[in-house]
Amino acid sequence: MLFFYFGFLKFYPDLSPAELIAGQTLTKLLLNWSEVRATLAVLAILECGIGAALVLNLMPRTTFVLFLVHMAGTFLPLFLLPEFTFKIAPFAPTLEGQYILKNLVFVAAAWTVLRPEKFSDAGGTTPVGQSVIDEKAKSDRGSS
Amino acid sequence: MKVVLTKVMLALVLIGLGVGINVTYESYRGTGLSSVPELGPRRLEAAQSQASGSPVQSRSEPSSKEAARPDAPVVRPDLAALRSAAVSELTLYPTLAKGMRTPFDLWRYYGRGVSSFSSPILPMRFEQWLEFHRKQKPSLMKDVRSYMAMRFDFSGSTLPDATMSGGKSVMAGPVARLSDEVASYEALAELTPEEVRERDLFPYKPLAHPLQTVAHMVFPESWIKVHPEHRRIDVDMDFPDAYLPEFPPPLFLTTHKELGDVANGREVTIDNYYEIFDGLLTPEQMEGLKELLRPSPTTWFNHTDHRVTELPSRGVACFDCHVNGHTNGAFELGPDSRPNMARLRTDTPTMRGNFNLMQLSSKRSIRSMDHFSEVEEYFDGDPGMQQAIGPRAVKREVTNRMGDFNAILDYPPAPKLDPLMRLVPAKATKAALRGEALFHGKAQCSKCHSGPAFVDDYMHDLQVERFYVGRPEGPIKTFPLRGIKDSPPYLHDGRCPTLHDTVEFFNLVLQLKLTEQEKDDLVAYLLCL
Ligand code: HEC
Ligand code: HEC
Repeated sequence: MLFFYFGFLKFYPDLSPAELIAGQTLTKLLLNWSEVRATLAVLAILECGIGAALVLNLMPRTTFVLFLVHMAGTFLPLFLLPEFTFKIAPFAPTLEGQYILKNLVFVAAAWTVLRPEKFSDAGGTTPVGQSVIDEKAKSDRGSS
Repeated sequence: MKVVLTKVMLALVLIGLGVGINVTYESYRGTGLSSVPELGPRRLEAAQSQASGSPVQSRSEPSSKEAARPDAPVVRPDLAALRSAAVSELTLYPTLAKGMRTPFDLWRYYGRGVSSFSSPILPMRFEQWLEFHRKQKPSLMKDVRSYMAMRFDFSGSTLPDATMSGGKSVMAGPVARLSDEVASYEALAELTPEEVRERDLFPYKPLAHPLQTVAHMVFPESWIKVHPEHRRIDVDMDFPDAYLPEFPPPLFLTTHKELGDVANGREVTIDNYYEIFDGLLTPEQMEGLKELLRPSPTTWFNHTDHRVTELPSRGVACFDCHVNGHTNGAFELGPDSRPNMARLRTDTPTMRGNFNLMQLSSKRSIRSMDHFSEVEEYFDGDPGMQQAIGPRAVKREVTNRMGDFNAILDYPPAPKLDPLMRLVPAKATKAALRGEALFHGKAQCSKCHSGPAFVDDYMHDLQVERFYVGRPEGPIKTFPLRGIKDSPPYLHDGRCPTLHDTVEFFNLVLQLKLTEQEKDDLVAYLLCL
């Protein structure tokens, strides 16, 4: 849900607080070749797609892979824009840095809820129960 | 069943979230918090109704030489030209922090700023700021060079027998590159503005500051060689020295015409000015000159961390750009607009002959030199920054004196002109004489460039955006043409590196259909002014 929420914000210029960091990282990745607005729109589609798929439990396998790729991407600014993500690297992150690091929680949660063996073992319930991140908990319920 | 229901519910929640964001956004944009301006139909209509009329009234009937009569029907440009004012083809400015790279074609963007005020705080620690630019500058400058090479052919070829007043060669042109789709400038001039615009063929689009999030002054290499303290950590000059004014340029005084170049080939500095000028100036002019030479802190050249030099800087003096009362070709942004990215790049104009000008600076219509000295133009138009960075502390008496010295800076000699500013036939070449006739006739230059300084002291909207997709730049003051060979590159942002380029520019913009021979003749004439 949050994924969809924050992703959707990126469609609107100037509404998402992650616009600066996300846009610059993508621009750097693409070697200044692309237009920031366009790449942000692609990112927004990706995030909304992942978010919606997680909530509705569509294509869990593909979604999971996309999710992991995307999560890896979110950590790139730590390496590509250290001046903006750290006050002093690597132990004193800025607010943006912390915002990125908290994605570790997402990854951990997703891993617990969606870990691969679950796909073969349909109908299994998770002991995680706790809906730390509501989207994953919901998608889990959807599958059971 | 239950599963399907849950999914439908969740999908509805997602859609609801989307709608909620959309509604929120509509009330958010256009507020002071948002960089997205409100663009209702009312605003667009207003923008369009301003874009009427053509820069030269008689454009549609080039044979008529008389000025348009007031009762003449207003020629309304067609819809395609009007659309250039519409924002639909423009892109919103990207969200960026100080130091980050900006697109080289910023004129295709629009938007508003989060605030009119700037702040003396960097987005990171100073050590990180240095490191950030140490990494970014080489790749930025590589891209700047290839961008400039794509737009211009800086071949280095010079005009035979043509020099600036101090002896530097005048560069041959036009150097702006044409698209492969058109065979020649003459072929390009055959097309309508709409065709040029649609096929993206215009060679004289604006030039942006290569790093507009920081922007500020960028000095030429010839200047940096002598003043390494002005080397920036983030960006260098994008024009080769050959295409910039001579350094140091000669300095002529209206009060001592017999002395010629008073500076005698030297750069006037705070250390040598007294020796050079004692006995030639009044005490007030002397004081004014000293103030023009005294460095003071600026937005990015100062003692604080908010700077673009490695070491703390004493700042910049008026004559660091207007060297010897002329120009070294340094550029800045005009401070008259917000957000920062909407500010136009401006080349330093000469101060020679300012005594004859009623309009100072390209878009601000400042009416006196003392006012100009007072407005702190190089603080990027933000007096609040002075509080943080260090005041210039110029009081009215002092700026008046700066104006006093400014007022005796003369044009370079033009031995071929008579008192009415017409060529003396015995001294001028045939080409120059033909050029003069064109200047006052077919080419219509004298409609805006007339009088002792070849300037009408008006601002004109040349509507150059008829020829490319971009934000309209609006009215710009006519620049004087007296002594014009000494101050390349041309137009407010330097998009015309040579005199030939300016003639090609006006040939296109005023749709004059000049022949190649006629263009050469006009340049021969401009070299005499
Ligand atoms: C970047 C270096 C730079 C410095 C330093 C600088 N100027 Fe300028 N000056 C410019 C530029 C660029 C313009 C054109 C501004 C515009 O078009 O809006 C200009 C325009 C002017 C003009 C108007 C000239 C015209 O033809 O319209 C005057 C007068 C002037 N400056 C005086 C000063 C004075 C006085 C100082 C010192 C207080 C000063 N300048 C310092 C770059 C500089
Ligand atoms: C409609 C009025 C108008 C006419 C006609 C006109 N100009 Fe200009 N001229 C301007 C304006 C306005 C500018 C400044 C434009 C800018 O900086 O964007 C300018 C700038 C220039 C410059 C550059 C000056 C500098 O210091 O950078 C040159 C050279 C020039 N004109 C030459 C000509 C010639 C040659 C013609 C005739 C073919 C001509 N102009 C016709 C208004 C006019």
